[in-house]
Amino acid sequence: MLTDRGLLLRATRRQGRWLAGSLGLITLWQVCEALVPVAIGITVDRAVATGDVSELVWCAVGICVLFAVLSYSYRFGARLGFRGVQEETHALRTEVTAAVLRPEGLRSDRLAGDLLTVTTADAEAVGAFIRHVTATVAALVGLLVAGVALARIDGVIAVVVLVGVPAILAVSQLLAPALARRSSARQEALGRTAGLASDLLRGLRPLKGLHAEDAAMARFRAVSQEAGRTAVVAGRWEGVLDGVSVALSGLFLAAIALLAGWRALDGELGIGELVAVLGLAQFVAEPMALIAFMIGQVARSRASAARIAEVLGAPALVVEPAEPAAAEEVVFDRVTHDGLSDLSFRAGRGDLVALAVEEPGDAGTVLALLRGEARPDAGTVGLGAVVVPHHVDLFEGTLRDNVDPFGALDEERLAAVLAASAADDVAGHLAGGLDEPLGPDARTLSGGQRQRLALARALAADPAALVLHDPTSSVDAVTEDHVAASLRELRRDRATVVVSSSPALLARADLVVHVRAGGGVATGTHAELTRDPAYAAAVLR
Amino acid sequence: MTPTTSPGASDHLLPVATPAEARTELRRLVRRRRGVLGAAAAAFLVQGLAGLAAPYLLGRIVDVVTGGGERSEVVWPVVAIAVAAVVGGLATVASVALLARGVEPGLAELREEVLDRGVHLDHAEIERTGTGDLMARVGDDVRAVSDSIGEVVPLVIASAVAVLLTTVGLFAIDWRLGLAGLTTVPSYVLGLRWYLPRSGPYYAREREANGVRAGAVLTAVQAQATLRAHGWGGRQQERVREASWASAQIAIDVWHMLLRFFARNNRAEAIGLIALLGTGFFLVRADEVSVGAVTAAALLFHRLFNPIGALMGLFDEVQSAAASFVRLVGMVQLAPVRRHRTPAHDAALCLDGVSYAYVAGRPVLRDVDLVVAPGERVALVGASGAGKSTLGVIAAGLVEPTTGRVTSDGVPLLVTQEVHTYVGTVRDNLTLGARSAVPDEVVRDALRRTAAERWVELLPDGLDTVVGDGGHPLTAAQAQQLALARVVVLDPRVVVLDEATAEAGSAGARDLEVAALAVTEGRAALVIAHRLTQAQTADRVVVLEDGAVLEEGSHAGLLARDGRYAALWSAWAAH
Repeated sequence: MLTDRGLLLRATRRQGRWLAGSLGLITLWQVCEALVPVAIGITVDRAVATGDVSELVWCAVGICVLFAVLSYSYRFGARLGFRGVQEETHALRTEVTAAVLRPEGLRSDRLAGDLLTVTTADAEAVGAFIRHVTATVAALVGLLVAGVALARIDGVIAVVVLVGVPAILAVSQLLAPALARRSSARQEALGRTAGLASDLLRGLRPLKGLHAEDAAMARFRAVSQEAGRTAVVAGRWEGVLDGVSVALSGLFLAAIALLAGWRALDGELGIGELVAVLGLAQFVAEPMALIAFMIGQVARSRASAARIAEVLGAPALVVEPAEPAAAEEVVFDRVTHDGLSDLSFRAGRGDLVALAVEEPGDAGTVLALLRGEARPDAGTVGLGAVVVPHHVDLFEGTLRDNVDPFGALDEERLAAVLAASAADDVAGHLAGGLDEPLGPDARTLSGGQRQRLALARALAADPAALVLHDPTSSVDAVTEDHVAASLRELRRDRATVVVSSSPALLARADLVVHVRAGGGVATGTHAELTRDPAYAAAVLR
Repeated sequence: MTPTTSPGASDHLLPVATPAEARTELRRLVRRRRGVLGAAAAAFLVQGLAGLAAPYLLGRIVDVVTGGGERSEVVWPVVAIAVAAVVGGLATVASVALLARGVEPGLAELREEVLDRGVHLDHAEIERTGTGDLMARVGDDVRAVSDSIGEVVPLVIASAVAVLLTTVGLFAIDWRLGLAGLTTVPSYVLGLRWYLPRSGPYYAREREANGVRAGAVLTAVQAQATLRAHGWGGRQQERVREASWASAQIAIDVWHMLLRFFARNNRAEAIGLIALLGTGFFLVRADEVSVGAVTAAALLFHRLFNPIGALMGLFDEVQSAAASFVRLVGMVQLAPVRRHRTPAHDAALCLDGVSYAYVAGRPVLRDVDLVVAPGERVALVGASGAGKSTLGVIAAGLVEPTTGRVTSDGVPLLVTQEVHTYVGTVRDNLTLGARSAVPDEVVRDALRRTAAERWVELLPDGLDTVVGDGGHPLTAAQAQQLALARVVVLDPRVVVLDEATAEAGSAGARDLEVAALAVTEGRAALVIAHRLTQAQTADRVVVLEDGAVLEEGSHAGLLARDGRYAALWSAWAAH
């Protein structure tokens, strides 16, 4: 079982190769950065103050070497680190989608949008942990080098700097929670504004139907103005935090300057050392601030790791695994489960069986059993049929991608499938026809059009055993009749089960199984069952 | 699933402003808050000047030390550093806070105007462009501009001021030292000229690869049930893996390029530092400047590394924010479409010789005459593609007919099978569109009449239950009931229902029938129906075929005529 810590540790282990290289080089870079003020000090001391040309040349060569090492160590260190981040993010992203897509599925309460965040933002936040580790270690080493350099110059000043800088950072951090509260209030308010705007646009057509554009805008303006006010408050706090840290670090620099200046006058410090001390005192604030920042970042990575670990550790949705799409027939043998009692039917090759289930809950139970998501209390269920959900999932891409996502069909067969499901008519309404991109969520398609695409997809996949749930509930009567007839024709050598109360479909079935509310079962053709008033009331218009 | 074309690839796009128009709009936004923004600019300037003080004064201390001065001589520069620190801190508070106060209300105004133009777009325009581009503008572009203004702009201003003032400071110490500092400029310019032409195409490729990856992941997550049902999980996983690594690979390429750019900046820094110290060396030897002055100059220059790096690194972001801003201004410049409807004389709704063509020469409606009397319920039937829905939007005033005239008693409300539950409470959803406050009794009455009262009462907070995206989930049938109840609340004299009971095939069919009937009661109604039960109970039935009225009469009369309606009815009633 993975935990958040475990996931982060695994990330560092998995990317150990990249991490180690990056760590070495980035640390070297940080040390070089710390040495820049020292180099300035040495140059002033040895060359500028003495007027010795050969010293100047040596100092220039030294600065060139320092910058060359600094530049290359950063460039290649950052390369290796970034590679590690990308490798890890990629690995996590594919792990999460693999968990979602595995045949046994994922039993998770997370909504699709939420899962999407886990696969994108959370995977990135955990991947970034590699970079946090490098940056933190490098900052610590840089701090250490600066500390050693200071200590070698003057012990007292070193102590003052190494105690004073963290103290200043700590004072700034006292204000940080107040700012964090305001910033998150701003982020939330902006998120609400963006959410409301996209909600209004998604419901734009119904909104225009109500002529409610102005009323909706009044509502949006109120939220947007509120977000603006929240942002102004957050800006004020940001300013205070920035201002306090500017003032404190300046005051601290003044103190160090006084101390170092006096000690230099006393002859305890040379000119070069004085310059180096002043430069280093400014420099150490950087790695320290970085470390403080990293603490927050690591907390974020950890929270993301917890969410990923939860998804990866979620139990399977399917309790009775079966080879997908392997079944030749659909069988229920004396099945008792939840509201169902002693339900039996069999759809073999060439059969079209319709289930007219009065209670929506019972229909759900039948489908869950067929998918292997539940184990019957008694009896047996044949698994491995393709069970198409009622809710239509559209894929990102064109209409063709949606019907034949893996390009398995020739044009002739595709045309036949589209005609049978009346999806050719959907393509006819789009400017780009079959190759029209549907866009996110395919918002331009109506419910009926979506259903026809899902049906076309199921017919295109042509599984030996197929179960459809209310496949034509949003399709008009004439089209539904056409679809029902084509379904019969196209699936003549296959096993098909339809869960529906639509007379058009029921009338075309070889056998109708009427599952009454309360568990009673009647079997017969649609014509035979119609004589039963309970059946007629349940299915007739 | 081939890569989806980005909105930029489509022919039908919303307008984009020219750079000149964007500048005009920017000036307008700035001018309206020029007091606050001017104060912010002054504060940034003070902050920058205060930042200069420390290195300059540190140089003075170095001079005191080299000159072997008194302890007290060190004190006044130190006090000055402390004063500058406090002033700088206060100026920082003021600059950031004032900028937020000047910018955030303008930003709010901008996003409101953009959405306002968006929701007022002509119906036909939306059909043509789709909502993709609109969503991108209101979502991504607004976010890009506000993120940029919130974080990038203050950083850019502070960095630019720091760079500018430091350069001035270098010249103030000694003009020759200033010139030495300027030797870096060509290196930075060369760096930018190397980088900018390369970055654009790289980032475009990166966006595209990210789009493909997002599409593959989106499909994997959102369509998981269907993918698993068909046994396509493995294949989709392979697709995600490929797209994910392809985008990672491009990100790595982009990063390598960025690192080479940074390396050029390091080169410029080294050149500048050596030039400065070298110049200082000879000036000190010639006794033109003090060692302290050279130290101050070197420290000043060292302090420039971060702001210059920030400016260089932000170039891309500023460019992309500018691109977003141009798209937003393009929206703001649209003239909002306001509808008005000529009042009808004796009928509630009257269509007179209405024709319509989305594409010239291909009419979807041909010379349709249709009158609905006050209180009358007319059913419009016909096969898919007969033009029923187009007739519906024209009747409801969302689209102007190409030729012909529409008059009505007030603007009719239209309810389609495209149902949307808005984020908010059930009450918010029902009162959406009401011009004044709606008493709860009216809301409850509407729910009662549309047979939704019972389940709404069972919701966790009743009328106050938050529904819509992320709220309490509703079934499709419940959402449709709310859509119908909205009409009862708004109480129009004319209503157009376009297959508003489409979900009636599944559970809750009867409740929806009740709701649809309740909505039409006591008002004129044009009901576009595929459930012919609705035609059967209508006062009159109009059959539309190929955009023209084919038959018209009562249900019984049309059956007797044995024409197209009779055929449709027999298909419907056959089972």
